[in-house]
Amino acid sequence: MTRITPQQDNKDRIGSVLVVGSGIGGMQAALDLANSGLMVHMINDEPSIGGTMSRLDKTFPTGDCAMCMISPRMVESSRHPNIKMHTMCRVLRVSGEEGNFTATLEQKARYVDPERCTGCGACEPECPVKVANFFNQGLDKRKAIYSLFPQAVPNTRSIDSVNCLYLTKNVCRKCEKACDAKAINFEDRDKLVEVKVGSIVLTPGLKTYQPEIRQELGYGKYKNIVTSLQFERLLSASGPCSGTVARPSDGGHPKRLAWVQCVGSRNAHNANPWCSSVCCMYAAKQSIIAKEHDKEVQSTVFYMELRAFGKDFDKYIDKAKRDAGVIYKRAMISEIIEDPKTGNLLIHSVGEDGKTVHEEFDMVILSIGFEPRSDAAEFSKIFAIDTDTYGFAKTSKLRPVETSRPGVYVAGTYQGPKDIPETVIQGSGAAAEAMALLGDRRGTEVTKVILPDERDITGEEPRVGVIVCHCGTNIAGTVDVKRVAAAALTQPGVAHAETIIYACAPDGQQKIRDLIKEKGLNRVVVASCTPRTHSPLFQDTIREVGLNKFLFELADIREQCSWCHMHDNENATRKAIEIVNMMVAKTKRLLPVTSASVGVTHDALIIGGGIAGMTAALSLVDQGYGVHLIERSAALGGLLTKVRANLEGDDVQAFLADTIKKVENNPAITVHLAATVDKVDGFVGNFVTTLTNKETISHGAILIAAGGAEYSPDEYGYRDSDKIITQRELETLLAEKGPDNQKTYVMIQCVGSREEPNNYCSRICCQDALKNSIAIKEKAPNAQVVVIYRDMRSYGLKEEYYSKARDLGVLFFLYTPDDKPQVEPMGDKVRVTLTSKVLGREMAIDADHVILSTGLRPQPDGDEFAKKFKLTCNIDGFLMEAHVKLRPVDFPSEGYFLAGLAHAPKNLEETVSQALAAAGRTGALLSHDSLTVSGVISKHNRDICMSCLACVKKCPFGAPFIDTDGRVSHNEVKCTGCGICAGVCPAKAYQVNYFRDDQLLAMIDSVTEMH
Amino acid sequence: MAIDAEKIEEPKSPEKPQDVPADWKANIIAFACHYCAFAAADLAGVMRLSYPSNVKVIRLPCTGKLDHVYILRAFERGIDGVFAAG
Repeated sequence: MTRITPQQDNKDRIGSVLVVGSGIGGMQAALDLANSGLMVHMINDEPSIGGTMSRLDKTFPTGDCAMCMISPRMVESSRHPNIKMHTMCRVLRVSGEEGNFTATLEQKARYVDPERCTGCGACEPECPVKVANFFNQGLDKRKAIYSLFPQAVPNTRSIDSVNCLYLTKNVCRKCEKACDAKAINFEDRDKLVEVKVGSIVLTPGLKTYQPEIRQELGYGKYKNIVTSLQFERLLSASGPCSGTVARPSDGGHPKRLAWVQCVGSRNAHNANPWCSSVCCMYAAKQSIIAKEHDKEVQSTVFYMELRAFGKDFDKYIDKAKRDAGVIYKRAMISEIIEDPKTGNLLIHSVGEDGKTVHEEFDMVILSIGFEPRSDAAEFSKIFAIDTDTYGFAKTSKLRPVETSRPGVYVAGTYQGPKDIPETVIQGSGAAAEAMALLGDRRGTEVTKVILPDERDITGEEPRVGVIVCHCGTNIAGTVDVKRVAAAALTQPGVAHAETIIYACAPDGQQKIRDLIKEKGLNRVVVASCTPRTHSPLFQDTIREVGLNKFLFELADIREQCSWCHMHDNENATRKAIEIVNMMVAKTKRLLPVTSASVGVTHDALIIGGGIAGMTAALSLVDQGYGVHLIERSAALGGLLTKVRANLEGDDVQAFLADTIKKVENNPAITVHLAATVDKVDGFVGNFVTTLTNKETISHGAILIAAGGAEYSPDEYGYRDSDKIITQRELETLLAEKGPDNQKTYVMIQCVGSREEPNNYCSRICCQDALKNSIAIKEKAPNAQVVVIYRDMRSYGLKEEYYSKARDLGVLFFLYTPDDKPQVEPMGDKVRVTLTSKVLGREMAIDADHVILSTGLRPQPDGDEFAKKFKLTCNIDGFLMEAHVKLRPVDFPSEGYFLAGLAHAPKNLEETVSQALAAAGRTGALLSHDSLTVSGVISKHNRDICMSCLACVKKCPFGAPFIDTDGRVSHNEVKCTGCGICAGVCPAKAYQVNYFRDDQLLAMIDSVTEMH
Repeated sequence: MAIDAEKIEEPKSPEKPQDVPADWKANIIAFACHYCAFAAADLAGVMRLSYPSNVKVIRLPCTGKLDHVYILRAFERGIDGVFAAG
């Protein structure tokens, strides 16, 4: 039975949420919350949303441009009817309690009216003030009236009151004169705003370490030493040197690049004791991209420990070494000095042989780490939450997104250093917690827009209206807009054409609505800026007067014409005429598109009864949905049943037992033990799954938490001696018998991991080794503990335990995979021999116990499992998510979500975060009574289809299928409208709405007409 | 017959070769994916990068939508170049 019965009590909960911070984590939380029917107030203190990710050039492993990925999220956040964006805003105080908070916000004066500003930028050249551009890390200058970055959202300038001449010295006002849109408002003042919310999500983000204090590294003293964030800007095509990588001292292109790792991290002296988690990977990325920019670049990375602990990270490092020829040197850098003649930099390091090496580089990049924001202490007081000793928000490792104050959740780097996908995961996870708290208030704070009925245009001749926008002087300064309008009027089907100064301004929109009514227009072309940002706005405008949204096209004559062909007015005007006529040709043929909708079964099916599946199940029932939990073994618990404690010392078994009890006692969770899925039918919102025990279940979404397996080693004689055990077995031994002061424990890391054929890091083994080492040394300080390792990967705040283990006297010896330690049982001891890098000769340790740090594996039948659900695995056999960075818990197929070890190795805290995230994403989907299928989809004509299966093979979403009659049918619910089917179909049986063949051919015919 | 003994003749075009007029400019259609190449074309504008004005962009929902018929039709009607980007 389908169910939406959120928890109810007599408290007066408010169905809105305050999201503090608008980086990638804040946007993720806001979008998930808004999609579930809650109202969101999303605030940030900068003039644009986007956060740290907007400053990055590209992201690994795909090399995608960060802006291309984040920009659609920013536009979506700004246009979402349930999200109210407050930029240049901060929280002053918060009162109330869980479910009912009142937050007082301080809205800083922007001095530019966002309602009027068109983002044209005519003001900027007029401003006489130049100040260091904070966004580009001080590498270039900006004006006092500025946009944070070219793709800023909201796309409006702001005036920096500290540097503006009028606001400081009462002179100038040049921007005001340059602004035709009359958007400059010097009367603007800071305002206080009060918002009432049921919950708060904190995603304030981070600050980067300022390396000036480390004088020996020369930053701030020598020009050619830059921080890694500055280097991102140098690499960026939209950065200060348009991506050509120019040396600050002389603008030359540096060939010899060096990265110095751990600057500001892993060092308690003038720096931070934690590991920043991301620097190893971004250094690899930057070195690869630098090589892509310039083939002659030779990169060297000086590192202490290579922490490539995430999914596919080790392979990426291998790629850097192999394809980009990056040299990795394990060395701590004590000094960098400049050759004053050349500006080149000399690095002194100690080589593996113990000798000092002097090397010269053209440029040095300091891999600076993360720290809490400078205002973190004040911030925690405003929200009255506890922080850890470093100033990060304090959370339990078992409840990683809950702060100490009920109803206030945290996500991203404010909870500890982490990368983009982990931040996104916590964003969705924090949203899930707020959704569980406010489940019964969904839809209460949001307003539904009521629109007039659509006008039926069947049988009408096309009457196209063409609006050519001046965009102030942005278009009209280069393109003769009157000529463009006149040329459009000569086109068949055009009933009216005119120019408007600003089509997107409120008065421009009204003009368009009036024209549709007055001139009886049934289709509209606006010639202005890009459809990517402005189509939705104009589509809404015409819909408000009863025209179907898809009877509209936007001709891009700004970004793709006037801005690229400045000072070439004649050719730009001709091109604009061609573009507009091309769009008229298409628009004449546009047809109304109706969006179908399908009902949603408000239940989720969760596969896997481990901690991931159970955590997700509990979150979903708290949000108000029903859950079917499938577990193939006879009991709940999964791999966690074998773990006693985590690194931080929480009692894992008590937590697990409590979770199992909650799941078993919850009437909304149906547990199916000793069962697996036989087959899945249906599509998003309406799946029907048959289990192996013949039960059938109807559900709206599938959450896969199928888990992983522990590796049982063949290496180092594990099977031959009971003195050679795994970390898990040691954990049991220590719990049952305790450590022995007289004994020697030798641990060997990376057993069965980071080597072909399992060339990935299992992520948890270093933590296991530290946990057990500390457990031994704390109880038996005289026991000898030796860890033989390749890289200790105690990332993030776990670094604290690495240093604690060293303080307790645990010895760490390095080995390399080509020179592994030898293990040989000798009487009642086991002799371990290894080549000591430090001593330069062989050493032997007689151990009482040799402990193998074995990793994690995918489920042995993972491939078969993936095939059943039409999912794909990476080369190591872990399931592949929809997008490594921004969709870490989604699958490409709609309605499928992912959490836990099935995705990649991870620890308990990370598993819980991911399970919550998957529950949040699932919940946002299940909250809908119906799902509207996008209008731009492929339409299949069975009458002319030959069932050749070209579409079935090529569709990435599995929309076309072989129907019961043996012929091809098309499931429009799964269709995303990419049109690959239409491209490959030899019979032309597919037509994509809004991109029909006749429409595109008409465009081609139009553009070839004038020649 | 051995291949090298075979006389291979270049097929002759029925059209006579013509001199390219000095003011001639190629007419080019670019088919661009909405999500990447079209966005890149927008960014070029935002950054005020300049390129010849004889390129007109046709937006597709995905480069996978590009049909050979479009390319053929464009050449048939005398286009000088087709640029597919995505």
